[in-house]
Amino acid sequence: MSFALAAVLLPLLAAVLALCWRSEAARLVWLSTLFSLLLALAALWQVVTFGPVSMQLGGWQTGLAIRWHLNELSALLLLMTALIHSLVASYSFSQWRDAGLSADFWPLSALLQAALSSLFLSVDLFNWYVTLELLGLAAVALVLLSGKKALQAAMRYLLLSLAGSLCYLLGVALLYGHYGWLDVPQLAVAISEEPVDHRLALWLITAGLMLKAALWPLHVWLPAAHAAAPAPVSALLSALVVKGPLFMLYMIWGQLAGPELAVTGSWLFLLTGSMALVVGGWSALRTPYAKVMVAYSTVAQLGYGLLALGLMLHLTDPAFTQALFLFVLAHALAKTSTFLAVGEMQLRLGGKRLSTYRGASQTMPLAMFAVAVAGGSLIGLPPSGGFVAKWHLLLPLWQHSQLWWLLPVILAGTLLSAAYIFRLVVLAFNRAKPVSPDFAPVLLPQWLALLPALLVWMLAFASGSLLSWLGG
Amino acid sequence: MSGDFWFDALLGLLLLQLALATILARQLAAAVMLYVVFGLMLALAWARLGAADLALAEAAIGAGLTGALLFSALARQPKALAPAQGPGRVERLPALLLCIASSTVLGWTLWQLPLQPQHSQLPAALEQLGSSGTEHLVTAVLLNFRAWDTLLELLVLLLALLGTRLVAAPEPAALQHWPLARQWSKRLLPLLVLVAFFVLWRGATAPGGAFQAGALLAAALVVLRLNGQLPALRFDLWWVRALILAGVLAFLLAGLLSLWLNWQPEQAVQWLRWPLPLAKGLILLIELSATLAIGLTLTLLVVGERKELRG
Repeated sequence: MSFALAAVLLPLLAAVLALCWRSEAARLVWLSTLFSLLLALAALWQVVTFGPVSMQLGGWQTGLAIRWHLNELSALLLLMTALIHSLVASYSFSQWRDAGLSADFWPLSALLQAALSSLFLSVDLFNWYVTLELLGLAAVALVLLSGKKALQAAMRYLLLSLAGSLCYLLGVALLYGHYGWLDVPQLAVAISEEPVDHRLALWLITAGLMLKAALWPLHVWLPAAHAAAPAPVSALLSALVVKGPLFMLYMIWGQLAGPELAVTGSWLFLLTGSMALVVGGWSALRTPYAKVMVAYSTVAQLGYGLLALGLMLHLTDPAFTQALFLFVLAHALAKTSTFLAVGEMQLRLGGKRLSTYRGASQTMPLAMFAVAVAGGSLIGLPPSGGFVAKWHLLLPLWQHSQLWWLLPVILAGTLLSAAYIFRLVVLAFNRAKPVSPDFAPVLLPQWLALLPALLVWMLAFASGSLLSWLGG
Repeated sequence: MSGDFWFDALLGLLLLQLALATILARQLAAAVMLYVVFGLMLALAWARLGAADLALAEAAIGAGLTGALLFSALARQPKALAPAQGPGRVERLPALLLCIASSTVLGWTLWQLPLQPQHSQLPAALEQLGSSGTEHLVTAVLLNFRAWDTLLELLVLLLALLGTRLVAAPEPAALQHWPLARQWSKRLLPLLVLVAFFVLWRGATAPGGAFQAGALLAAALVVLRLNGQLPALRFDLWWVRALILAGVLAFLLAGLLSLWLNWQPEQAVQWLRWPLPLAKGLILLIELSATLAIGLTLTLLVVGERKELRG
């Protein structure tokens, strides 16, 4: 637990120091992300060697204290947070003055990391609410770094995010009013001992979290907000921020819903997931702007998460837990790479529209390669992480044949994602009249944008141990 | 029917009427004023329900600072803010449906909430109160049992300020300061500071504490600023930033100190566990720093201008 605690506190301290000592903010936060990556690795090693541990904050008994629980899953998510943050921070550190990124990025991103790490460790309904608020506010402030043009998108994001939080809080108040527990495992015991009708509470919590995670049909704020933000911010938002509420949905539905309610809830997740795949993919295919396309791709890809969650509840098969979190990891890495590379090209080629990317395979080959490689994982080409996740979604689905209609939905989602990725790639290979860069492309940021894409293709090599850790 | 019943019934009706009047008011200034009155009555309602901590916070934040914030937003509106050409009937329909739907859900939720909770953590909290370093239950929960929540809440406030910095409003038109108001604010200041620290000190044994005290301090500073008696609190001054971060810093330092004091080899670490002899001192230190931080942050949130926030 000590390493996990340090992985939460380090970004927090870095944020405070970066605010005090503003000239060194970038270096401080960058170094803190690298060190927190080491700490998160150590925490994972600790869990794998010595087994899961709990910590009562303040040392009080369960119920009075907030509880942190570190198991393989939370350690893995902690590692994902630290990894994405260190990748994005390295990219931003290499070019933030060039790109006109405000220095306020550094403390805000460090606070975001602290909030998200704390969320993944906590198993307390109210503490989750506070971390959600923190996450939402940090995300809105980060979107605002783009200045005036992001104002409207950020305002919408703020209002909907607050509405989501209140909805969630109302559900938590109902549960606490009936059972007197905020600690999720204890609450699960109390619910199974004395079942009262807690459907309303669970639906309120679900609506709030779906709004926060931009799950279809509550995704309306996401494309504008993610597209308006600066590239490193979009990468953080798409790769990490929406995964926090998704993790909470998994924990809450997995532990608190009884078997009957779980089946009812699974229909919601299966239907919205299918719609997200198809509608999100279609919107991504239709939009003329590059970053909006990537943002809609997040809406579509979250559909796989919803499907995995719905199937886990419907068929009570832990294999789908593996699929859910493999998808979370693969999407985080692939989306980081896509947003960073698209942002880098937007900066150097000087345009938001997809048509700006004409001939990019010639003018900015490395960044374009990053988009194509990460896109391969989004489509699910073997042997990328996206493929492994989809394989573990399809294999058990094939064995339980009663939900056969999901197979064509997943196929349609895959074809749509292939279509929008190839739309960009085809434009990039149109070398007849390339759009020339406004100023000389720098190589280092492009390599750093490529790095997460290479990591997601290497995820397949680690999939054996990943699967055993996510064993459910 | 006792007098208490009639008082509560009247208060409830008054609250409903004020809420409706706020929404239906034609002029924004009138709506803001009604909203401030609504906040004060709501504070009274909380006090009647026995939640003195909430009543204090509602009066200071809900009525006082939010009112000042709304008024300063009004002052920055362009002059010719005609009575808004409201949306037509057709556009209002979805809004109406949404309102009905959310009110139904809210009403249903309230219906489902048990009036007398059968289970809660109250007995456990009362049992441990003696070893928490404070005698007031709310303070014990906020600064000891669930201190991590409070630390994160302080960060929420900090983030609100950091976000506001990025969209800081332009300066309002030059204000004319009324001599009488300037004299008043000078007389009010010592009183408000005194009350703020009294509320803070009382937090150890009775309702009160850092948040309410900070809000009172902020109210004093806001009054001074609105009368043009306070120099700019520029964010690029190191001491302003240090004061804004004081609460979080004190919390973190206290946490690290207790980690070090509690550390024993071969034993699991325990975050935010105050050593018993030091608990009262640490809690007081955190509350004092948090009061200053909250006071300054709220002041900047309400009256901060572009030149001082951007820095």
